[in-house]
Amino acid sequence: MQKILNFIKKNKQFSFFFLLVILLIFVAVFAPVIAPQDPYVSDLKNALQAPNSEHWFGTDKLGRDIFSRVIYASRISLPATLTLVAIIFVAGTILGTLAGYFGGWVDAVIMRLSDMMISFPGMVLAIAVAGIMGASIKNAVIAIAIVSWSKYARLARSLVMKIRHEDYVYAAIVTGSKTGYILRKYMLPNVIPTLVITAATDIGGMMLELAGLSFLGFGAKAPAAEWGLMLNEGRTYMQNAPWMMIYPGLAIFIVVVIFNLLGDSLRDVLDVREE
Amino acid sequence: MKKMKKFLGIMLAMVMAVTMLAGCGGSSKESSSSDNGKTLKFGCFSYSESLDPANMINSAWCSSRYGIGECLFKYKDDLSVENTICDEYSTEDNKTWVFHIRDGVKFSNGNDVTPSAIKACWDVLYANKTGSSNPSKFMDYESITPDDDARTLTIVLKQAKADLRKDLAYPVFVILDVSGDYDLAENPIGTGPYALTSFDSKTKATLVKNKYYWNGEVPYDNVEIDFLSEDNKALALQNGDINLVENVTSTSDLDTLKKDDNFNVSIGQGVRTGFAYINEKGILGDDTLRQAVQMALDHKTMCEVTVGGLYTEGISVLPSSLAYGYDNLKNPYTYNVDNAKKLLDDAGYKDTDGDGIREMNGKKISINYITYENRRLSDFAQAIQTQLADIGIEAKINSMDADREWNKMVAGEYDLCDSNWITVGNGDPTEYMANWYGKSDANFCNYKNAEYDKLYEQLDTEFDEAKRAKIIEQLQQILINDAAVIVHGYYNSSMISDKTVSGANIHTADYYWLTTEIAPAK
Repeated sequence: MQKILNFIKKNKQFSFFFLLVILLIFVAVFAPVIAPQDPYVSDLKNALQAPNSEHWFGTDKLGRDIFSRVIYASRISLPATLTLVAIIFVAGTILGTLAGYFGGWVDAVIMRLSDMMISFPGMVLAIAVAGIMGASIKNAVIAIAIVSWSKYARLARSLVMKIRHEDYVYAAIVTGSKTGYILRKYMLPNVIPTLVITAATDIGGMMLELAGLSFLGFGAKAPAAEWGLMLNEGRTYMQNAPWMMIYPGLAIFIVVVIFNLLGDSLRDVLDVREE
Repeated sequence: MKKMKKFLGIMLAMVMAVTMLAGCGGSSKESSSSDNGKTLKFGCFSYSESLDPANMINSAWCSSRYGIGECLFKYKDDLSVENTICDEYSTEDNKTWVFHIRDGVKFSNGNDVTPSAIKACWDVLYANKTGSSNPSKFMDYESITPDDDARTLTIVLKQAKADLRKDLAYPVFVILDVSGDYDLAENPIGTGPYALTSFDSKTKATLVKNKYYWNGEVPYDNVEIDFLSEDNKALALQNGDINLVENVTSTSDLDTLKKDDNFNVSIGQGVRTGFAYINEKGILGDDTLRQAVQMALDHKTMCEVTVGGLYTEGISVLPSSLAYGYDNLKNPYTYNVDNAKKLLDDAGYKDTDGDGIREMNGKKISINYITYENRRLSDFAQAIQTQLADIGIEAKINSMDADREWNKMVAGEYDLCDSNWITVGNGDPTEYMANWYGKSDANFCNYKNAEYDKLYEQLDTEFDEAKRAKIIEQLQQILINDAAVIVHGYYNSSMISDKTVSGANIHTADYYWLTTEIAPAK
């Protein structure tokens, strides 16, 4: 307990944002308790109502409560974003580490694949992939993962290559350590901190990309409560019912800011080398 | 050093933000004022890359909409026809038709419109076999004989027709000059009030007054057409970039414009019906289910609230404004959620596994609903989805582009399929009603009713207008009784102008936009 308190005292900023993230997850988990109404039940007659005491954020074109929808949307956006980041983190790290450690043809194959991926504008390729596979949040995650893993792979590879020819690695090889053991005990620990920081700062960006795909109609599909999709639905009502765009937009903004600041402060915690 | 970098970074971000914002605003007002009120700036969606009437149905419409081309006849607002280039006609057996061509009508290049010039034009249009709007679909003739001295055009049809004038008023029969070098796609020369001077389907077109116009004074010297996206139309008008715009489809924008005294909004019930085909080869082949679906839908609220009055509600596939006996039609499946539920309960379609969705013969009642983004159809789809959920029917919406939807419809891979048809495009609903005719190629919903087929076949031989109307009324009632179509409503077209323009009204037939009625405000 004392340890935790000490940690909090030492890393006030990080602890604060971490608390906010916990709060976000709490909101997502307990959405049914927090949301005053069912986000999918429509009341056609009461469409496009301005925010009032009954509907805090107003209602949308089908008379659904926007506050409830914004709350429920966290149940789609958060898990999807975290899964996405986890996928590219794991895939990128493994592939990058292998490429860096073994070199030769393994390196060539993996890196040329990654070159192919980054030679396209990321979002355009993601739109193409999502377009071919059909619109769904799952496919959107896959599409963005396909174009984003290469960043992690390149990072991991360069970090591994930096220590690949250090004496202690040769020493481990000479003393008969198995390759798997070396990868796990020498390579990964060297790579992980930097990649974790990258992943944490990426959460916000990835969330934006997912929302972007949904906005364009390649992600979540109606009637799902998803921030990007809600923004798109509100687009045509911008002049008369701006609350349809303001609140989902605000939700995206807040969540992205929280994750970005968390990523920044995580760097301060893990990466002690700077300053 | 580090501070310096940070400072530079912040400065850079600020400069970028400011320049981005600067790009958004300004730049409008000064360009809008027109030279002494004689230039009209019209904004519209570019429906066609070409203006060649035989190329695509939209091309034919556009040539008429922009005031370039005219036909022998013109539809009035009740879809009857009036004379334009033809001033007299006669027929004895409905097979041989003689049309007299008005004296003094000239193309915008000064050439005379003679009967042989008209035939030459149609020959070119009929010869275009690559386009999808070949006029042969509408008029199959044995011979066309021009007589320039008598100024008559004699058409002998292969099969008698009730009223050939209605077909000839359809814009695929537009009269264009094909003497000398002609370019129907980008520079058609017609008899309308305006003549094209430049055309780029992606950005703009310019037109000038047709000096030789036969029917009175042309109010504007110049017309500039700006091709806009649906989303920009209202904004362009509000900014003053244009004076006149067609069909603002965002109800929110339309509302704003209606409330603003600076604009005139003309809304007219057109001849377009928005509806969803019901595929009877799927789960919706079940009569009870179809009837329950009909009862579950609150069309009044959908038309008035969900799409904000962009549609007028109605029970039949033909618009209530047309003279096909709409008022005599009766709907046995009026909106009543409780009755819908009871009907399903009585049929034994109950929710047994507690997931909120009823089962039919042990299988979940799940409907595959395909739709596309056009004239708010997908909003209807979403509203219907939630209403069906209320009575325990699941609808899965699949929104796609128009071409893919069309292919799925032709392939029959759907339960409900949103569609939007011009019902009396050539002044008569026969072609449209073939959608439910058992032997038609256009019957994509697998609907079959022997009584309907028999009545429909009578339309081929019945030429008396009143009797035809009665038959068509019966056809509509049969479809209603069979719960064969989900009718969303009748689409209302709009034409919106600012205060510099007068007489900008929308017509029932959607082929007349830039008419001579539109003039500078006094």
